[in-house]
Amino acid sequence: MTTEPKIREISPDETLEVCARQIIVSYFHQMMSYKEGAKDGSDIEFVHQMRVTSRRLRAAMDNFADCFPEKSFKKHYKKIKLITQTMGAVRDLDVLIVRFEKELGALPEIEQADIRKLIEHLQQEREDARKPMLMLFVELEETDFEKKFLTFFQGY
Amino acid sequence: MAKAHKITGVVLQGSYRENARIILPQKVEEVYTWEPFIRDAARREELHNMRISIKRLRYTMEIFQVAYRSPKMPAKTAATTNDKRFNEFLGVIVDLQEILGDVHDCDVVLEVLTDYGMQAEQGGVAPGIAKHIAQTQETRNADYKTFLEKWEHLSAIDFKQKLLSFLAS
Repeated sequence: MTTEPKIREISPDETLEVCARQIIVSYFHQMMSYKEGAKDGSDIEFVHQMRVTSRRLRAAMDNFADCFPEKSFKKHYKKIKLITQTMGAVRDLDVLIVRFEKELGALPEIEQADIRKLIEHLQQEREDARKPMLMLFVELEETDFEKKFLTFFQGY
Repeated sequence: MAKAHKITGVVLQGSYRENARIILPQKVEEVYTWEPFIRDAARREELHNMRISIKRLRYTMEIFQVAYRSPKMPAKTAATTNDKRFNEFLGVIVDLQEILGDVHDCDVVLEVLTDYGMQAEQGGVAPGIAKHIAQTQETRNADYKTFLEKWEHLSAIDFKQKLLSFLAS
């Protein structure tokens, strides 16, 4: 799994508008490629990569906003922001759980018990944080978001 | 989290190369709007906002890296000149992002441990949690010190001006 931007083929002599479309579409495809893994949830890397790529996509959209009609652009931007935020809630808990699990082995037994209780508490919070994420995925599918986004940004 | 500053002055029908030189300096300036706050270790929000602005700069540099290769040189040669310098600047930005990320991680852990400690134990915070809070605070102090040292070093060598000159070239 990689977050390397797949934008090497951009020609710097092309117009900004043409390149902006290529980059946004490329990041979008990359972001959505992690969705099924994130939904499954057994490998925490998928949520991480989907969140990182959504941030890269937003950074690109911030830079290229002027290339697109404002109203529709904002609607799509808000949805990507919501994806980042929803994934972020899960990712933050994944990071904490992994961090405390790693530290467990080095602790005396009595402290281990305290940290184990904390990990259980965080795992429950993680389950709760996954619910909005899964609901968002359903909404994206039901509203045909992927197709609408690509139609708008591919433009032709 | 603060919003990204609005990018102005782009030339839609201008080349990608030309627009890189309009957009990237604005991203650098966004990072530096947080500078007045960073010498106070307690300004968590501003340190976090600087980290986010640095991340935006990093991603934007990666997007525009291709626009800093010399058009007249073969790709292989260009990779040893402009690309090398570009990667050096980018490396500094990534380094700053990472150390501020460490500071932020500690801030999040401290918040979680403190909240959890207060909720879970009526007779005082559990020893394992209390010890963790103290250790994390120490790590946070050390990470913040490292960040500030790096920042002061970059200020001393006029990193901002060097970066802006390179990006405008």
